[in-house]
Amino acid sequence: MAVVASRRRRVDPDPSFFALHRAIAPQLWGGAEWAALRTRALERFRALGIPTRRDESWKFTDVVRIVNRPMRPAEPRPLPFAEVRPYLLGGSEAVRLVFLDGRLVPEWSRTEGLPAGAIVESLADTARTRPEALARALEALDDGRAFTALNAAFLDGGAWIEIPEGVALAAPLQLLFLSAAREEAVMAHPRCILRVGRNAALTLLETHAGLGEGAVLANVVLQLALGEGARLDHDRIARAPRGHALLVKLDGSLGAGARYRQTTVVVGGALVRNEHEVRIEGPEAECLLSGVAMPRAGEQVDTLVRLHHCAGGSHSDQHFKSIVEDRGHHAFAGKIIVHRGALKTNAYQKNDNLLLGADAEVDTKPELEIYADDVKCSHGATCGELDASALFYLRARGLDPETARALLVYAFAEEVIARLTEPSARAFAERMLLERLGSDFVSPESELLAEAR
Amino acid sequence: MATAIETVREVTGSEYKYGFTTPVEEERFPPGLDEDVIRRLSARKQEPAWLTEWRLAAYRRWRQMEMPDWQKVKFPPIDFQAISYFAAPKQKQRPKSLDEIDPEIRRTYDKLGIPIREQEILAGVAVDYVFDSVSVATTFKRKLEELGIIFCSISEAVREHPELVRKYLGSVVPPGDNFFAALNSAVFSDGSFVYVPKGVRCPMELSTYFRINAAGTGQFERTLIIADEGSYVSYLEGCTAPMRDEHQLHAAVVELIALDDAEIKYSTVQNWYPGDREGRGGVYNFVTKRGLCRGKRAKISWTQVETGSAITWKYPSCILQGDDSVGEFYSVAVTNHHQQADTGTKMIHIGKRTRSRIVSKGIAAGRSDNTYRGLVRILRSAEGARNHTQCDSLLIGEHCGAHTVPYIEVENRTARCEHEATTSKISEDQLFYCRQRGISEEDAVALIVNGFCREVMNELPMEFAVEAKKLLGISLEGSVG
Repeated sequence: MAVVASRRRRVDPDPSFFALHRAIAPQLWGGAEWAALRTRALERFRALGIPTRRDESWKFTDVVRIVNRPMRPAEPRPLPFAEVRPYLLGGSEAVRLVFLDGRLVPEWSRTEGLPAGAIVESLADTARTRPEALARALEALDDGRAFTALNAAFLDGGAWIEIPEGVALAAPLQLLFLSAAREEAVMAHPRCILRVGRNAALTLLETHAGLGEGAVLANVVLQLALGEGARLDHDRIARAPRGHALLVKLDGSLGAGARYRQTTVVVGGALVRNEHEVRIEGPEAECLLSGVAMPRAGEQVDTLVRLHHCAGGSHSDQHFKSIVEDRGHHAFAGKIIVHRGALKTNAYQKNDNLLLGADAEVDTKPELEIYADDVKCSHGATCGELDASALFYLRARGLDPETARALLVYAFAEEVIARLTEPSARAFAERMLLERLGSDFVSPESELLAEAR
Repeated sequence: MATAIETVREVTGSEYKYGFTTPVEEERFPPGLDEDVIRRLSARKQEPAWLTEWRLAAYRRWRQMEMPDWQKVKFPPIDFQAISYFAAPKQKQRPKSLDEIDPEIRRTYDKLGIPIREQEILAGVAVDYVFDSVSVATTFKRKLEELGIIFCSISEAVREHPELVRKYLGSVVPPGDNFFAALNSAVFSDGSFVYVPKGVRCPMELSTYFRINAAGTGQFERTLIIADEGSYVSYLEGCTAPMRDEHQLHAAVVELIALDDAEIKYSTVQNWYPGDREGRGGVYNFVTKRGLCRGKRAKISWTQVETGSAITWKYPSCILQGDDSVGEFYSVAVTNHHQQADTGTKMIHIGKRTRSRIVSKGIAAGRSDNTYRGLVRILRSAEGARNHTQCDSLLIGEHCGAHTVPYIEVENRTARCEHEATTSKISEDQLFYCRQRGISEEDAVALIVNGFCREVMNELPMEFAVEAKKLLGISLEGSVG
């Protein structure tokens, strides 16, 4: 029955996941109820299995090959601060939580100067101070996704962040996830829960960086909740070295009149997968998502968006781009769901892909699922290489072919990078882009930023 | 060959069938499906051994397959053992006269302006006269023969042109392609076969004849069209009038093959029984349609207007294998009341500089769900391929759903793909404008919808287009106000 076997939507996880759980779960924080929660999640993970390409949401991604193998927990390993420093963004006033291989490192973190009522603490602390709230938040997210269950099964590092009503944090908050270089395959499962209260505002910098090559599985879960009229600017940068698999699940909800703005820049990795599930629950909310991914040789970047318009009168706009070099692979699956009764919804989505390599591959699936008639929804997707006439234009003005190409690619990416709200994040992303372009062409803006620094 | 006369006899309810001398008691197999049933079916149709084996192989594949579950349409499980796989096309209980037909359907006939005699045939009334089309059909047949065009039932083609059938049958839709294609390959009853020789331009739309021919083809139809080098054929399937149909499940397979410089234009207007207003009954239209541009500069164009059936679930596709070949898909799918549609196309670009164009218009009203699902795949070899896709959905009412699920997979950087999709409702301004000029609300909706669909309607052959336009209006009746 070979036919049937190849149609399986999931495979059993590698036994090492369970052996590992037996070994390390007893050492993790919390009492019996937390141990039970982890065990339940592990059983859920076992039942769900690792999805194969037969699973519709993994259609373009062979995650079994990448993650289903013997893994070890990442042993704490000392790291000189100098290696961490380049990734500290947001200026000297920034509130910061630094995770190394999934564990919070207090000495690199900074939680001073928080306004009254604001909470930024490790999950281990939350488990002590507000166990019910934490348990509720964890159980609220059952998305039928194996990696979310796996994250809960190894629940350890993570943070609970609460910005109280009406408070606007002046400095940005950075969540920095680092992985050290490793010889053996390791995994980490941080989870952050962030609540932005009514009319509160926050700039969030989420940075993922690998400090060396290695078979790392970073399995991150973020739970965001924006209250009525809340504002969240979310800048996300991921720089994954070769061999790294970075899976990030973002689950978010927006109250009435809330505004959520997210910009993602991704470079590298065996697999970098950003999954979004965002629900607009109140009217007049606004959700802007954009991103640019730059995979090349043997790298894959997945962007998945499920955006629910549950209430009417809301606006959403997505613009995702990719620049795919040589054997890179980018998969985009974006779905806008307008639920019954969500009238006067405006939803837009655009996906532009630039194929630069002879073996580059782009798969895109922009979906609409609409159950309300008085709406305006549209999406567009394009795939192609650099415009020959634009190249000719630049060449005719004396630019060498490399610079001309780099300039066009830079312009393509810059449209998204410019949306990063925090200047240091933008500068960091630009440097990443220029490194990728491998050209000594430098944008005037970057030079200015360098001087300013 | 099922000559026109025979076909007419089928329609008119005579016991005579396909030229076989068949005892009457064996007219219909008992429900159920196993290898024995397939052997008997094949024997009944006097098929050669290779075809029997081909059917059996398909059946064995089908046994191992599972019903897909990714589709957006919902229906109760189908009991394949409850279906009779060989039934004479005549209906057991025919209405005695038009008075017994659902008045809704009669009203539609009147609106479409279908002559009363044709109405009776369409509705399956046991008519006892020979209708006019016979002479027309035979005239056509002579003319086609002069040009060397073969146009007959597939059963006849198996007997008369086995080399052609054997060469091409299943070459585009292999028996194991999907669940329903496998089932069809195992049990297909009959269908049409067209072969257009080199350099011949078929002088007429192959339609009028088919309309008669189609009346008896049953639920597992198989169509095979081959356009040899440099030829052209335009084929029309279905008709605008609602067909009364005893089968609920229709699992047909259509295969098109275009060789070098050949062009096939395949137009469908499908208006099978959609079930009543509450969603009871209605036809399940689960069809596999695929065209292969095998030759260089070949062209295959699908145009479909889908207004009928309780469930429409099909993706007429093009495999663009020959360099510079072209695939086109123009579709209008209208769903009202409790109808469901999950339709679209696949364009597989293999050859260099292949081009495809997709224009899909979905209109959902009542409590219906209308899904466009499509795939554009550019393989590594498809240097300089080009695709443009446009999917627009129109929603009428608060309880319907419109969905767009396009897949775009690109493996060649020189390819250019563009996809755009919109969803909106009929604007109040447009309606008001029409109403202000004395156009009734229903007519205004029909007018706006026709404008919305114009790009696709323009692709239909003339006489079809006129009827299809009327049909759109009728399908959406009662959906506004």
